[in-house]
Amino acid sequence: MTVRKTGLALLYTLVGSLALGHASISAATLEQIKERGEIRIAVANEIPYGYVDLSGEAKGAGPDVARHLAKALGINRIKWETASFSALIPGLKAGRFDMVAAEMAILPQRCQEVLFSEPNSSYGEGLLVPAGNPRQLNDFSQFSQPDLKVAIMAGADQLEMLQALNVPEANRITIANNADAISTVATGRADAYAATSLTVNELASKSQKVESASGFIDPVIDGKPVRSWGGFTFAKGSESLQQHINTALTDFRKTPQWRKILEQYGFSEADIEQSGTQSTAQLCARAAQTP
Amino acid sequence: MPFLDYLPALLQGARVTVELTLYSTVLGALVAFGLGIGRHSRRAWLNVPCAVIVEIFRGTSLLVQLFWIYFALPVLGELVGLNLRLEPMVAGTLALALNIGAYGAEVVRGALQAVPTEQLEAAKALDFSGRQTLWRISLPQALPEMMPSFGNLAIQNLKDTALVSLISLGDLAFRAEQIRNFTQDSTTVYTMLLLMYFGMALVLSALMSLLGRRVGAWRNA
Repeated sequence: MTVRKTGLALLYTLVGSLALGHASISAATLEQIKERGEIRIAVANEIPYGYVDLSGEAKGAGPDVARHLAKALGINRIKWETASFSALIPGLKAGRFDMVAAEMAILPQRCQEVLFSEPNSSYGEGLLVPAGNPRQLNDFSQFSQPDLKVAIMAGADQLEMLQALNVPEANRITIANNADAISTVATGRADAYAATSLTVNELASKSQKVESASGFIDPVIDGKPVRSWGGFTFAKGSESLQQHINTALTDFRKTPQWRKILEQYGFSEADIEQSGTQSTAQLCARAAQTP
Repeated sequence: MPFLDYLPALLQGARVTVELTLYSTVLGALVAFGLGIGRHSRRAWLNVPCAVIVEIFRGTSLLVQLFWIYFALPVLGELVGLNLRLEPMVAGTLALALNIGAYGAEVVRGALQAVPTEQLEAAKALDFSGRQTLWRISLPQALPEMMPSFGNLAIQNLKDTALVSLISLGDLAFRAEQIRNFTQDSTTVYTMLLLMYFGMALVLSALMSLLGRRVGAWRNA
């Protein structure tokens, strides 16, 4: 009888948690991380935001800044983890890592799931097209036409943009990571790959078969041109870590070193200026306005 | 020579793949014998749970099992107050072993059922206990029959390890993705990957046939 009851209780917990869906693990505090002597930071292998090079070293705007912040907080060791982009938030929730340094865009929906630091960067959108741009693409809204296909990365916010621009699902192809983008576009499985301008430029430099669409028009959603602000991401419950990182980040952003890191990874003057114009609170609060 | 640049990272990954294959195949074999013998039993309390476990792990996607153990189990564990945040290596081994073990259980059961009834009747006539019959009569005859299928499963398991790259375990497939992301050189990287898996499968296949000859040696004695 008792066995059956415990079994039932367990089953209810299982079902309940599945129904809730938002349950998450109590996250590590700064003290616990210091005690452990190492912070676990995840990247999604996206050049130039956060990636791992051939020697296994983490590079990119996120990791390079994160290294300075960890040092400022007195954390000596960083354990870099690589996950696919769509596994970053689930990984934080399951306590697989303490922080994500992927310059993940600060979006209202994501603010409900995880915590964000203040913005570390800002970036616009772009399109990767086959060399010569045979279909003359330069605007996300073109993909609402029936015979055009656009590729996006699983879990990336380009999905929301395309949805807002009424691009039908049949015209969208989802790929797992940036490494697949060039072949997807070059072999004609999609007419273009929609990603941030930095990703597009980086990919375009890797192959003769593709290029960055010239004359690209920033998508306009709710009357505003789209721009994203990227920051570091934490699990709910990591508020103390988030605050300490924020303090260190605010200080570091005043140094020429910070600017140099962003410039080195291809962020434009406008990107750097824009990154300071919004606070995370403002970016998260957009939820109230957009349905 | 690009492939020389890629080799160190790939070999590092190959080591993880070999370890993972070894652990999960050995654990998977234990699971297979446990569940297979359980299913062969005529006692319902043993037979039914084993059948349920086999059906669950055979009937759900390995990839989903892996994600469930890695991403969902820690959250559920927290709810009931347990730390179920298994290391990627442990989570990977567990998912692979349970999956391959469920398939293996059917191989074990099939081979046990194929032991001629006369043998079991003779054992009964000689007053062998159930356990004695299993260990001294059924298993020695069934074991050589299982080996070809086990060889198949072991190789299947080696190739399935590629799925763990999706839970950030640095195996061969994971390293390959990392290199490909950095260099965009899909042709070289994937060709090397095919050859490396093939090489490992050949070695594993040789080991399994060696083991097969070993467990069947009593027939020639």
